[in-house]
Amino acid sequence: MTISEFLKDKAIVILCNSLMFIILSIIMFVINVNLIIVVFVFCIWFFPLCSYIALEYIKHKKYFGEIDSLLEKLDKKYLIPEMLKEAESVQGEKFNSLLKELSRDMYEHVKYYKDLQEDYREYLEAWIHEIKTPIASSKLIIENNQNEVTNKIDFQIDKIERFVEQVLYYSRSNNAYKDYIIKQISLGDIVKNIVKRNYRDFIHKKIRININDIEENVYSDGKWAEFIINQIIVNSIKYSSNRDPQINISSMKKVNSVMLFIEDNGVGIIEKDIDRVFEKGFTGENGRRFSKSTGMGLYLCEKLCLKLGLKISIDSEVNKGTKVTLIFPLSGMETFGDD
Amino acid sequence: MMRKIIIIEDDEVIREELQSFLERYGYEVKAPLDMDNIINYIESENAELILLDINLPMYDGYYICREIRKTSEVPIIIVTSRDSEVDELMSMNLGADDFITKPYNTEILLARITNILKRTYGNIKTSSILSYRDFNLNLSNATIIYKDNSLELTKNEVKILSFLINNKGNIVKRDSLMEYLWKADFFVDDSTLNVNINRLRKKFEEIGIENPIETRRGMGYIMP
Repeated sequence: MTISEFLKDKAIVILCNSLMFIILSIIMFVINVNLIIVVFVFCIWFFPLCSYIALEYIKHKKYFGEIDSLLEKLDKKYLIPEMLKEAESVQGEKFNSLLKELSRDMYEHVKYYKDLQEDYREYLEAWIHEIKTPIASSKLIIENNQNEVTNKIDFQIDKIERFVEQVLYYSRSNNAYKDYIIKQISLGDIVKNIVKRNYRDFIHKKIRININDIEENVYSDGKWAEFIINQIIVNSIKYSSNRDPQINISSMKKVNSVMLFIEDNGVGIIEKDIDRVFEKGFTGENGRRFSKSTGMGLYLCEKLCLKLGLKISIDSEVNKGTKVTLIFPLSGMETFGDD
Repeated sequence: MMRKIIIIEDDEVIREELQSFLERYGYEVKAPLDMDNIINYIESENAELILLDINLPMYDGYYICREIRKTSEVPIIIVTSRDSEVDELMSMNLGADDFITKPYNTEILLARITNILKRTYGNIKTSSILSYRDFNLNLSNATIIYKDNSLELTKNEVKILSFLINNKGNIVKRDSLMEYLWKADFFVDDSTLNVNINRLRKKFEEIGIENPIETRRGMGYIMP
């Protein structure tokens, strides 16, 4: 609060007093009071008034100055009421208690929704683990009764499994807890696993896969990394071209990182969509033209990458193909395994 | 000798299907229903491997795992639908030997079981020789043996030939051959498969065997 703002606030008091004094002075002049006395009256009148206003200003300045500097320093601005010092004025105290009351109420309000969401998340995760049992038993039944029909059902069950997995990772991506473990993993093994998981699509769509010697080890959570890479490969399969479809997977070691490239020669992504592919629920032109899509795959990829400290980027040209690059940082950590 | 496996699992369908699946692959399988005296049961059965579910009605799997470890070093594979690395770490800390998540790929399950059994008890002498008519395929060193001659095959040729021999007398569809190969880490496409089949035929010719792999147009291959 600047001095002029403060004075404006006190304008009525100052104005009234001045007006009253002017009237009084006029009266005094009319009845011929000595000028000295008028000046004396002025001093008696205005000295306490001015010092009162000045003191008030100092208090004001102190109170709001403190709040301002707190606001500037705090990351979470809503914590202000907890940080306030006792105010010197009654007004300030009133404000403080008001702020505290408000924030307490807001906190409870937020907590209610937090709990609600936490409950929902817990239920969802329990549900996911529960549904995995019937999925597992269906797969075993199919395994024990193999024929053309069960083979088709198996294909569909794999899809169900993938969707369920997506929900699980969606829930995990919003989780504040750290439920992953970073350790040394072999990128090559993960890629091979994923290709195997999608073998039916590769064979049916006659997609050629080239895995160029991926020998790098990286530091990450194996399950999460597998989920991320699988989403990317599933996309490459989904948007593959009809003529001689191919997916190339390769890696490159840099000083501080390992880069994994997943390249296809599929339909590609048009320019105006490319910057938005990581948005939640964005399906774009390809989503409309090809199969239904939820727009969750790449969104989740980016979100999980952020949590794991990986970088993901995408380049594409329509009818030429798409190239996704994943960058795994190499931690400075020494490993004492066998060299 | 048959290896004995105990399945501890409360879901009836999984228990039964898993039992018949593993029996098909030559294991003796016990799948107890009664979970109340499970620890005693495990001790008395003296199995060579235990497949243990985590979510059980009476005691949870972690408890059972700890109890077993007090008296025995029998290999334990934990089977669970909880699939984070954290759960895996916890299982390993309790003394489990391996950790598989539901829904499991049965091939991976089998491979893990064989691996652990091999690691713990050593190799059972299984025949690593497949024979077809008058020649043999030695799987351990990837050679065909015919009369006194032998000829080396590549890893992928062995995979193709062994699958065809195991299905001898039946037409093997191209797709099922390819699916088998993909599951065995050989990510083959149409033309590569043709190349491999032709190379196999050439090798047969080289060693003096009359081509045993017949092509059935539009259907697949057969070794009659």
